[in-house]
Amino acid sequence: MSAITTKSKVDPIVVEIIRNGLLAVTEEMKSNLMRTAYNLIIYEALDFTVGLFTKTGETVSIGLGLPMFIRGMSETVKAKIAKFGDDIHPGDILVTNDAYTTGSHLNHFTFTMPVYHEGELIAFTCCMAHWIDVGGAPGGATTDIYSEGIQIPLMKYQKAGVVNQDLLDIIAINVRMPDRAMGDLRAQITAIVSGEKRFSELVQRYGKNEVLGAIDILADQSEAVARANTLSIPDGIYEAESFMDDDGITIGKRVPIKVKVEVKGDEMTIDLSDVSKQVAGFYNSGITTGISCAQVAYKCLTTPVDYPVNDGAFRSLKVIMPPGRVISAVRPAPMRWWMAYPMTVIDTIFKALAPAMPDRVIAGHHADLVVTTLHGINQDGRFFITSIGPVGGGWGAKSSEDGIGVTVCINDGDTHNGPTEQMEAKYPILVEKYGLRTDSGGAGEYRGGLGAEMVVTALSPFSFNTYTDRQHCPPWGLEGGLAGYGNALEMRIDGEWRSGPNAKAFSQRLKAGDAYRVLSGGGGGFGDPRLRPADKVAHDVSEGYVSLDAARTLYGVALNDDGSVDEAATKGLRAGADK
Amino acid sequence: MTRTLRIAVDIGGTFTDLAAYDEQAERLMFGKALSTHDRLVNGIQDTADVAGVNFEDAYLFLHGSTIAINTLLERTGARTALLVTEGFRDIYEIGRVNRPDAYNLFFSKHEPLTPRSLRFEVPERRLADGTVHRPLDETRVREVAQELKAKGVESVAIILLHAYRDPSHEIRVREIVQEVLPDAFVTASHTLSQEYREFERASTVAANAYVGPRVSAYVDEIEQHLGERNFKGDFFVVQSTGGLFPAEHARRECVRMLESGPAGGVIGAQAICARMGLSDAIAFDMGGTTAKAGVIVDGRPLTTGSALIGGYEKALPIQIPMMDIFEVGTGGGSLAQVGKGGALRVGPQSAGSMPGPACYGRGGTKPTVTDANLLLGRLDDKQFLGGDMPLDLAAAELALKTGIADPLGLDVVEAAEGILRIAVTTMSLAVKGVTTARGLDAGRFAMVVYGGAGPLHASAIARELGVSTVIIPFSPGHFSAYGMLFSDLRYDYVRSIFRKLADAPFEELAKLYAGMETEGREAIGRSSVREVRIVRAADMRYVGQEHAVTVELSDEMFQSQNRDAIRAAFDDEHQQRYGTCAPKEPVELVSVRMTAYGVMKPPPISDLAQGSGAPAPDALRATKPVYFASTGFVPTPVYRRTALRAGDRIQGPALVEEHASTTVLQPGDSLVVDALGALIMTIGSDR
Repeated sequence: MSAITTKSKVDPIVVEIIRNGLLAVTEEMKSNLMRTAYNLIIYEALDFTVGLFTKTGETVSIGLGLPMFIRGMSETVKAKIAKFGDDIHPGDILVTNDAYTTGSHLNHFTFTMPVYHEGELIAFTCCMAHWIDVGGAPGGATTDIYSEGIQIPLMKYQKAGVVNQDLLDIIAINVRMPDRAMGDLRAQITAIVSGEKRFSELVQRYGKNEVLGAIDILADQSEAVARANTLSIPDGIYEAESFMDDDGITIGKRVPIKVKVEVKGDEMTIDLSDVSKQVAGFYNSGITTGISCAQVAYKCLTTPVDYPVNDGAFRSLKVIMPPGRVISAVRPAPMRWWMAYPMTVIDTIFKALAPAMPDRVIAGHHADLVVTTLHGINQDGRFFITSIGPVGGGWGAKSSEDGIGVTVCINDGDTHNGPTEQMEAKYPILVEKYGLRTDSGGAGEYRGGLGAEMVVTALSPFSFNTYTDRQHCPPWGLEGGLAGYGNALEMRIDGEWRSGPNAKAFSQRLKAGDAYRVLSGGGGGFGDPRLRPADKVAHDVSEGYVSLDAARTLYGVALNDDGSVDEAATKGLRAGADK
Repeated sequence: MTRTLRIAVDIGGTFTDLAAYDEQAERLMFGKALSTHDRLVNGIQDTADVAGVNFEDAYLFLHGSTIAINTLLERTGARTALLVTEGFRDIYEIGRVNRPDAYNLFFSKHEPLTPRSLRFEVPERRLADGTVHRPLDETRVREVAQELKAKGVESVAIILLHAYRDPSHEIRVREIVQEVLPDAFVTASHTLSQEYREFERASTVAANAYVGPRVSAYVDEIEQHLGERNFKGDFFVVQSTGGLFPAEHARRECVRMLESGPAGGVIGAQAICARMGLSDAIAFDMGGTTAKAGVIVDGRPLTTGSALIGGYEKALPIQIPMMDIFEVGTGGGSLAQVGKGGALRVGPQSAGSMPGPACYGRGGTKPTVTDANLLLGRLDDKQFLGGDMPLDLAAAELALKTGIADPLGLDVVEAAEGILRIAVTTMSLAVKGVTTARGLDAGRFAMVVYGGAGPLHASAIARELGVSTVIIPFSPGHFSAYGMLFSDLRYDYVRSIFRKLADAPFEELAKLYAGMETEGREAIGRSSVREVRIVRAADMRYVGQEHAVTVELSDEMFQSQNRDAIRAAFDDEHQQRYGTCAPKEPVELVSVRMTAYGVMKPPPISDLAQGSGAPAPDALRATKPVYFASTGFVPTPVYRRTALRAGDRIQGPALVEEHASTTVLQPGDSLVVDALGALIMTIGSDR
């Protein structure tokens, strides 16, 4: 079915021109937000999402941002439309940080602006960005939403061009660094205003009917691609399972993640009913994130490089997501670390589909931000709170390529780590090491990407938190490939290195000279490691990606003293493995 | 004998271009010859022969080349080692961990220019305030150097943490390595960048080391050739900023010439604008595979403090000042195709020169932008490159029909027109990348268009952007070389500082600026250039922000130590770029910048003979059918540019042909030939 011939009244050339124009709108929103933002999580880590939506809240284009937020903003826009309906007017700006609406944590303040053309509402621009502090307990475990900060329901931040100063005052008094929060707020307003301006220009230039018609056609084009690629997957029911270490409250109690995927013709159903019930710790996320899990997995498999990101790509996907699961949690579930579990749900969907489409899936990845949060008093004698990382970790191998090393997890996209030189200038830390973890990539015919290690020493006392998971369920291999190393944490207290039952630390006090070491996992391998060409293994050893010992025991490759392959010994080792 | 000739040569992927100016005879000369990739200097001599100039008559040889960027992109550089502070061996490989291709499981990441087995740690550590946390272990450095020697390393890059605070450890490491490997190319990060961000600095210094041996050998080769031809003047190379630096610096700081060619074009555009009294303009260059846009604001090209080389998701950052140039993969050779789901896409894949567009008749079967231009009558099958290269119209039509028209249910003319419109929107994105993305309204600017394919699309791009004036300079096909004749010697310096503006001690600032100025004056003093101009600027931001905005500090502002004026200039700049500012928020200085120019005498732009106000009869070569969206095919006059005179006016539709380019005037457009020989187009309001 060609989407263009079915309902197009808009010239395909104009459609392509408008496609470029829509991308330019969200790109400009993104760059203006980044360039004017006040906190590192926005300008450096790019923990935000900007987008353009139809007047009913359907996604037209999303500028990344957080790939996992593919659903959150559209649903937030829809919730605002549902609440205010006809009471949305030119000059209004709507706001919320409600965790159960965005599906994520309270840090995600989300601003939405209506776009009008000759008095008619035609679209919305929206910007979610992560505020560094929204009040609540600065670290440690929380067990309900009320301890995680201020909650702003669906409200008007601005009414007919007039800012609601009462609301601003309430926010300002509830957050620890109001100047930062207000700076980020201004940056977000800059983003939605510039989006509104650019989209209006596009409509003026090409006409309302052409632009809105092109938006429909682009969604149809995405749908056509998604359906064609789904059709090429053999029909069947595919299941897989994995688990999380624990919820940070009941240490050692594993949290099961089970998924079921049904492929029938050009449609797919992802059933997430058997993912764990919501948990006592703050690893919960809302139902929009549950649906995001399925959509992100589906997009990766069917329309990975189709832009702009729009909702047409998901018409051939059905998601079964009952409420009350850890990825569809209900009030008052704590949500602070909402992003950790969904990544494993996505990887588990890939794992389920591996037998059906081995050439398009990927082995498990480290599936965690591997980020640490510090708060205390900095060099200037001022309160600070900051995140160090994401460290990045290993990605899974594929049927034709090695996994990529030390790259941010699937929750995040164009997210950057913080330069050591910058962090040391701002915070009382000394980074002793930031390097690759030899042997952390799962062995396979195609090797998993390597994880990383970061060692940070406190130069003055501060409080330290990390909520890392997936130590005990390391990134799995596929088709005979081995698992990579899991994520891990060690702390040096009074000169002595120690590690606990998981990779988490809650409000751990570090004194000057104490240190922590975070380790990110490596990706899973793909295929039998003994099928990996011996010269590639020798190269991995010479570059220090694989140890001599692992070359021998996992890959069955023996090397001479000069690093070349000992052919005879290798033959013996590899033959021995078959017996 | 007084030498009065200055020669500029730009080497591109396909052609080597020369522009020369004889001050005594007040004469411009041009040459074009095929680039000779096996020995580039041959192409330089060929083009000099074509233009009829002798190096012994010249007092100045100016040069721009793609050699540095090609060495980087084609990965043909030296066997390079990286020496880095202990604990940070892998920062160059780890990079910034970002994954912009966010839903693609088959994403890729930057690939370091040097393998991990050639990256070595050096025991030493400095803190963010510059104090030594751990002294340099020189014994270990010596051991590492011995190991480099044993491994046959040709080039060495040094990056130590916080070296921008104090480079003494980097300097000492460099000395030791040079002692052990006297023949190696050795480069330390602080000589290229004194700004924080260790990955970006590592990438910059590694790139310099990687291209260094090849670039320095190339510079040597040119120098030797010039010597053989009795050249006795200064040999300057164009930097990515558009400024010149002596060959001896180009040999050491090779990454400064990555964007050498495109920068020459922007400098040329700046010179033309200055002559015309235009302060703001877009400089647009379109060749065979890419289109590039730069922008001139208040008479000066915008520059950036760093750039990403080679595709965003795999890019290698280079943290040095460069012309702010936005590039898109659209050129005459860009391929058009219909994708899954029925979308028509143009580029970034290119047919290159082999097989080339279908109409080249060299076996290409896929339609390109050039094929579309031929089918619509904008190019002429018998006049391409002055008739030296006949084009195959039937092949172009077949490629357009089978590749685009049939799958989309269009006729070939609609398909060709569609390809051009899409190419035009993509190219307009390049312009938006340097204007709207910087908070500048493109519609307010004039656009100077050059490069072989630029004038074909100038009118359409201008319409897309709302630009009303387009300038096609004299000889657009040689324009990058021509632009170099207007460059000045230039040295850029930056120092990180981090101080609140309200309590920044001016004595400290003055000391930093004075240090940079001394360096700049000394560097210029080593050449024959005598006139020095100093420009100061500061990078500032609101306290709490990360990204800084560069604000120029006028002499008056700086000498009067007027904090309020500095602050107001920053608020203005922020407002202009982002549409917001916060005059009540505290402001901080991030770094101070200084540029020292060695001012050279620009060639005068000579006047063209005055015409009668209309093209002379012999200027009209033909009248032939050309397609325009608003009219369909219409009989269109075709003029010879060389026969046009100052003051001649032409009404669109019309074509103006010259050896290496064709200017398209759409219905509603008009042009006038100005006294300097440029075509000044006024763009019609209809689309």
